[in-house]
Amino acid sequence: MTLPKFELHRPESLDEALDILASSPGAVPIAGGTALIVDMRGRRLSPPVLVDIGLIDRLSGVRIEGGEVVIGAATTIAEIKESDLIAQHSPLLSEACGLFASPSVRNRATIGGNIAYASPAADTAPPLLALDASVELASASGRRTVPIDRFFLGVRRTERRDDELITAIRFPIPAEGTEGRFRKLGLRRADAISVVSAAVSIGPPADGGRRVRIALGAVAPTPIRARRAEEALSAGPIDEGAILAAAEAAASEASPVSDLRGSDWYRREAIRALVRRLLRPVVEGRSDG
Amino acid sequence: MDERTIRLKINGREREVSLPPNVTLLRVLRDLGYVDVKNGCEKGDCGACAVLLDGKLVNSCLVLAWQADGREILTASGLGSIEHPHPIQEAFADTGAVQCGYCTPGMIMATKALLDVNPDPSEEEIREAISGNLCRCTGYAQIVEAVAEAARRIAGGGDSG
Amino acid sequence: MIGKVEVKPLPKVDLPPLRQVGRPLRRVDALGKAVGSTVYAADFSMPNMLHAKVLRSPVPSGRIVGLNVDRARSIPGVACVLTARDLPGAKLSTDMPGQTGRKERAGSAAPVLARDVVRFQGEPIALVAAEMEEIAEEAIGAIELEMEETPGVFDPEEALKPGAPKVYGDDNVVARWKIRKGDVEKGMAEADLIVENTFRMPFVEHAYLEPEAGVAWVDDQGVINIRVCTQVVEHFRSVAKALGIPQNKVRIRGTMVGGGFGGKEDVTVEIFLALLARETGRPVKLVYTREESFVAQSKRHPFVITHRTGVKRDGRITAAKIDMIADSGAYPYLTPYVLLYATAMATGPYRIENVSVDSVAAATNQPFTSAFRGFGGPQAALAYEQQMDEIAKAVGLDPLTVRRANYLRRGDETATGQRIASEVWLEETVTRAIAGLGEPTPSSKTRKVGRGFASYFQSYGRITWFHDTSRAWVGLELDGTATIRCGVPDIGAGQANSLCQIASELLGVPLERVTVYATDSAVTPLAGTSTATRQLYMSGHAVHKAASAVRKNLLDRAAVHFGVGPDAVDLADGRAFVKGDESRSIGLDELASPCAADGIPLSTLALFTAPFTDGIDPETGQGDIWPDFTFGAQAVEVAVDIETGQVEVLKSVACHDVGRAINPAAVRGQIIGGSHQGLGYALMEEYIVKDGITQTPSLAEYLVPTSCDFPATEAIILESGSGVGPFGAKGIGEPALTPAAPAVANAVADAIGIRIHEVPITPERVLAAMKRGARWRG
Ligand SMILES: Cc1cc2nc3c(=O)[nH]c(=O)nc-3n(C[C@H](O)[C@H](O)[C@H](O)COP(=O)(O)OP(=O)(O)OC[C@H]3O[C@@H](n4cnc5c(N)ncnc54)[C@H](O)[C@@H]3O)c2cc1C
Ligand code: FES
Ligand code: FES
Repeated sequence: MTLPKFELHRPESLDEALDILASSPGAVPIAGGTALIVDMRGRRLSPPVLVDIGLIDRLSGVRIEGGEVVIGAATTIAEIKESDLIAQHSPLLSEACGLFASPSVRNRATIGGNIAYASPAADTAPPLLALDASVELASASGRRTVPIDRFFLGVRRTERRDDELITAIRFPIPAEGTEGRFRKLGLRRADAISVVSAAVSIGPPADGGRRVRIALGAVAPTPIRARRAEEALSAGPIDEGAILAAAEAAASEASPVSDLRGSDWYRREAIRALVRRLLRPVVEGRSDG
Repeated sequence: MDERTIRLKINGREREVSLPPNVTLLRVLRDLGYVDVKNGCEKGDCGACAVLLDGKLVNSCLVLAWQADGREILTASGLGSIEHPHPIQEAFADTGAVQCGYCTPGMIMATKALLDVNPDPSEEEIREAISGNLCRCTGYAQIVEAVAEAARRIAGGGDSG
Repeated sequence: MIGKVEVKPLPKVDLPPLRQVGRPLRRVDALGKAVGSTVYAADFSMPNMLHAKVLRSPVPSGRIVGLNVDRARSIPGVACVLTARDLPGAKLSTDMPGQTGRKERAGSAAPVLARDVVRFQGEPIALVAAEMEEIAEEAIGAIELEMEETPGVFDPEEALKPGAPKVYGDDNVVARWKIRKGDVEKGMAEADLIVENTFRMPFVEHAYLEPEAGVAWVDDQGVINIRVCTQVVEHFRSVAKALGIPQNKVRIRGTMVGGGFGGKEDVTVEIFLALLARETGRPVKLVYTREESFVAQSKRHPFVITHRTGVKRDGRITAAKIDMIADSGAYPYLTPYVLLYATAMATGPYRIENVSVDSVAAATNQPFTSAFRGFGGPQAALAYEQQMDEIAKAVGLDPLTVRRANYLRRGDETATGQRIASEVWLEETVTRAIAGLGEPTPSSKTRKVGRGFASYFQSYGRITWFHDTSRAWVGLELDGTATIRCGVPDIGAGQANSLCQIASELLGVPLERVTVYATDSAVTPLAGTSTATRQLYMSGHAVHKAASAVRKNLLDRAAVHFGVGPDAVDLADGRAFVKGDESRSIGLDELASPCAADGIPLSTLALFTAPFTDGIDPETGQGDIWPDFTFGAQAVEVAVDIETGQVEVLKSVACHDVGRAINPAAVRGQIIGGSHQGLGYALMEEYIVKDGITQTPSLAEYLVPTSCDFPATEAIILESGSGVGPFGAKGIGEPALTPAAPAVANAVADAIGIRIHEVPITPERVLAAMKRGARWRG
C-alpha cells in the first residue's frame, strides 16, 4: 500500500520550520513518523504538507538548564531510555521509555511526537504528568509554555495550535529523596500498547506534607492526574490503609472506555492493582513509610 | 508532488535515486533490488523490514526515503553472502534458528544492532532486543540460542562486519 | 498441583544405526535465508510487469446493486479491470486441495468474484491490473460499488435455527458427522458420576510473516505460469478449471513459503493472477497487504464443544456423549474435513466403550474457516483434556490417575474403530513432560502458581480414503553429487531438507552435495500438498524408494568392481567401500562413469501410495480414517497474578514420540514453534469479529507472541521407531501444537481453582472468573 501524496519540507532551522507551518495551510510536522506514517498509510490522515523536524539540531538532546531537565522534542525514546541524566533525575521516565514499543520503534519515535499525538495511552505522558512537566511551544508569532496537565484536551486533541511546534519538554529536577516509578499493563509482555499505565512520584517528607503525584494512562480521554489519590497520601503516614485508599480513589477518578484491549471494569481493577504496586515499594524503600 | 534525487549508501555502495516524498525506505530498498528487506505489515508491527540506518535498528517501512538522504543503510544481504556469511548468519543457520526464513533478515539486523553495543548479552537482553521482530515459526528459542552463539563466535574470531 | 511422577525406563527399541538421518545437520535452506538471498514470491519482478489489486466487499452480507468500472478503466495506466461479468461462472473449487483420485463434494465451490451476493467482509468483487501499484490503488478507489446490506447471521448456533438468513444451501449446514459406538445410555447408567462441561474456542489467524503473493505470466507455449507461495502446487488444476482451460496450460512454480500453517493450503492469489495475465498478455504481480491477508484468507474454526462423560469412582470412563458446533464462515472450504478430524479425535487418546459424537458446521457471514495446523485436533484436545481434569476433580482423583485408567494402548481401537498399529507412548511421554517441570515454584500472596498437562493423539498423513500418493525422482550425477526432484512445497518446516537427508543417507552422498528441486507443478514429480503432516511420511517414502533403487544399482556395480557380493558393500561419505575394509573404496564419481557406460540407471522416479481405505460408515462413523497417529504430552507451570489476571508461563515441557527424528534440530524447532503457537492460542490470540466485521485488522490489534512472552518449551524427543514414515518416523508438524493450549488451561484452573471454559484466557477473563468464583463461594 502506498502513502497518500504530500509535499515534504526538511528545514534545517527552527525558524524556517515555523515559517513553513505558518504559511502552508494543513501543514503537519513529522518527527519519527511512527504514528503519522501509520495513520497516513491507513488513510486516516492525508496532510498536504509535511515538515520534517529531524534535521533541526537544536530540537534533540537532554540537558539541564536552570534547575530543570530539558528534553528536546525530537529526542528519541531510545535516547531518553539510554540517557544518564534522565536515569539520575527521573528514573520513572527511563522505565517508561524502556517499556515503550520495540527497540526499532524506539529508535525513531520521539517524545515530542508522543505528546503531540495525544493518545490516551501515550507512555511518556504519565511520567511527565508525575514530574510536573511543561510543554514548550513555538510558532512564527511567539513562544509559550503550557503545563502538561493542561496540554491534553481530549483523544488526539491538545493545546497546540496547528502552526506551533513543540520544541521541548521540561520539568524541575525533583527534590533529593524523591521516588518515582512507572508501570504498564499490556496484552503482551513486549511491544504492546498500554491497557492501563501509571506513574507515581513521591517527594521526601516536608513541612505540611509531601509532594505526591499519581498519573494514569489509557483510562480516560487523556492521560490524567489522579488528584484525589494524591491527596490521600500527601499528609499522614503512608501505610497500607493509605495505599488502599489511594488505589481506590485512583480507580474512581478514571473514566475508562471499553474497547478491544479491555473493558472499563477491567481497567478500573487494573488501576487499583497498579497503583498499589507502585506505592508499596516506594514506601518500603523509605523511613517514613 | 516533486521528485528529488537522494543519495543512499546501501551496503557500502552509493546509490542515487529520484523519487517523490511519499515513498518509504522499505519501498525504495526493495525497488532497488534489496529484496532481503521484507514487507510483513508496513506499519511497524513485525520487524521484517528492519535495517540499520547509520548503525541504528529501524523499521524501514516507517522511514520516508527522503529522511534517509545522505545516510548509511545496512541490510542482511550487505552483512554477508553465501560465500562469506557473517558469523551472525552462520550462527542462525547452525542453530536451527531459521525455519520459513521470512523473519530472518530482520532478526539478523536486530542481532547485529544488539551485538554492536552489547557483545555479551544475557538471555533477557537478547529477548528484549528482538522483541519487535515477530517470528511465527520458531517460538524464538533457537533464535535466542543463535544470538548467544553469534556473540561467542564474534568474541572468539573477529567480526567481519 | 500435580505431584511427583515416576518415570519408567523406555521400552527397548532397536533403531538401525544411520549416518545422515538422525543428525541435527544444518538445513540445506538455512544459510540462503540467513544471508537474505532466498527469493520469496513477492520478491520476483519481470520486465513489463503490471501490478494488481483486488476490490473487496466492505460489508459481510449484502447485494451488489451497482458496479460501474468505467471510470476505473479510463484512468491512464490501467490495463485491465475484471468483474464477475467478465468471467461467467468462474468457480473456485474449495474441496480438498491437491486431491486427484476422488470426486469433489457437491456445493463446495465459491465464486471467484462475487456477482450479486456478498457473504463475508473481504469477499473479492473486482480485479485491477495497472502499470504501477499506485495506479492500481487509485483504480480500485474509482470503481463505483453500490451495495445493499442484507441481514446476516454471525453465530453458528443462530445460523442453524429455522428462519435464519441463508448463507449456504437450505439450512446453512455445511457438514455433519456422527460416531455411534457401543451403547451410551447403558454406559451412562453404569457410571457413578456424570460430568458435563462446555468449552469455547475463537477464530484464530495464521499470521504467517509472509503475506500472500505471486507473479503470473503467459509463456511462448501459451502456458500460464504462476510463481506463488503455496502449500499446494496441485492448485494448477483449480486454476485451469476456473479459467476453463486445459490443465496442461497452467504451471505453478512454488517458491519458498514464508510460513503457511494451513493458511496457504487454499487458493490465494493464483486465479486472480491467471485471469489478469491471460487478459492482458503481460506479467502481473499481486501482493496482499497484511490487512488484506487477514480478511482474504481462512481462520481456525471457532468451536463450541460439550462433553457429557459417565465415570466410575476409580476414574474409568463408561460413556462419552459429545456435541460440537463449528463456524464454517461464508464458504465451505475445508470445513467438512476439519470437522471430521475434530469429531474422530473428540474422545482423545482414551479407550471408551460407549461413544456418541454429533458434530455440525454451520455457515455464517463471518470469515471463512479452513485448515490451520492441527486441523480440528487442537480444538478437540482443548475440550477433552480440560474435561479429563474436571472428571478428576469430580471423582477426587489426581488427573494423571484418571488418564492412566483410560489411556489407549497399542492395538486398541479409536472411537471410530480404527486399530492403532504403532506404539502408543502416552505413559512414556506424559511422565517425562511432568517430571521435566522439576521443583515447583512457590506461590506468593498475589501470584498463584499452578501446573497442568495434556496428553493427545493426532493423526499424520491424509485421510486414507483420499488415496494419497507422492512421487519423487532421485539421481546420482556423474560427479558424485545427487539431485532430487520432488514437487514438495517447503513451508519452512524443512520439508525439502528432510528429503535431502534421506537421499544422503541412502546414497552415501554428503548432505551439502545433494540438491533438491521442489514445488513446481510442471517439472517436479507431483508430491501432493505440504499439509496434514504428510510430507515426511509420503514424500519421504517416495524419496526413500527412489534412492533405494539407485543405491541398489550402485551397490551391484561396486560389488562387481571389488569382486565381492553386493551385501558386502556400503555407501558413505561420497564413496562405495567394502564393509569392514574401508581401504577398499571407490569414489561415487568414479563409480558413476562405469554405471553410465554400462547403461545402469543412475536415477529413478518412484511413486509412493499410502494405504487406501473406503470411507467411514455415515451412520456410525466406524472405519479407518488415517494412516497412523502421533502421541505425546505437554506440561506447563504458570503463575497467575490474581490482581491483574495476567498469566505468566514459567515452565513448559513437551514430550512427543516422533517415531524417528530425521533431523533432531528440525524436530526440536517444530516442537518449540508449535508449542509457542499453542501457548498463544491459550493465552492471547483471538481474531475478533463483530457483526461480521473484523475488529483485529492488523498485527497491531491481533497480537501474536513476541520473544518476551513465553519461555522456551523444553522439547523431549522420544523415538519408538514404530511410525509408518521412512525409518519408522511419525509426524510432528501439527502434533507439536495440539497439547500446549489445554495444558495451559489446566494449569490456570489449578492455580486459581476455577475453570475458565474459553480461550484465550485473557487477564480480564481470569479476573472476571475469580470475581464470579468469589461470589459463589459467598
Ligand atoms: C509498532 C508501534 C508500537 C508503538 N508502541 C507504543 C507504545 O508502546 N507506547 C506509546 O506511547 N506509543 C506507541 N506507539 C505510537 C508512537 O510510536 C508514539 O506515539 C511516538 O512517540 C510518536 O512519535 P513520532 O516521533 O514517531 O511522531 P510522528 O509520527 O512523527 O508524529 C505524531 C504526531 O505528532 C506530531 N508531532 C510530532 N512531533 C511534533 C512536534 N515536535 N511538535 C508538534 N507536533 C509534533 C505530528 O504532526 C503527528 O501529528 C507505537 C507505534 C508503533 C508503530
Ligand atoms: S514491514 Fe516494517 S515492521 Fe512490518
Ligand atoms: S522463521 Fe518463519 S517467521 Fe521466523
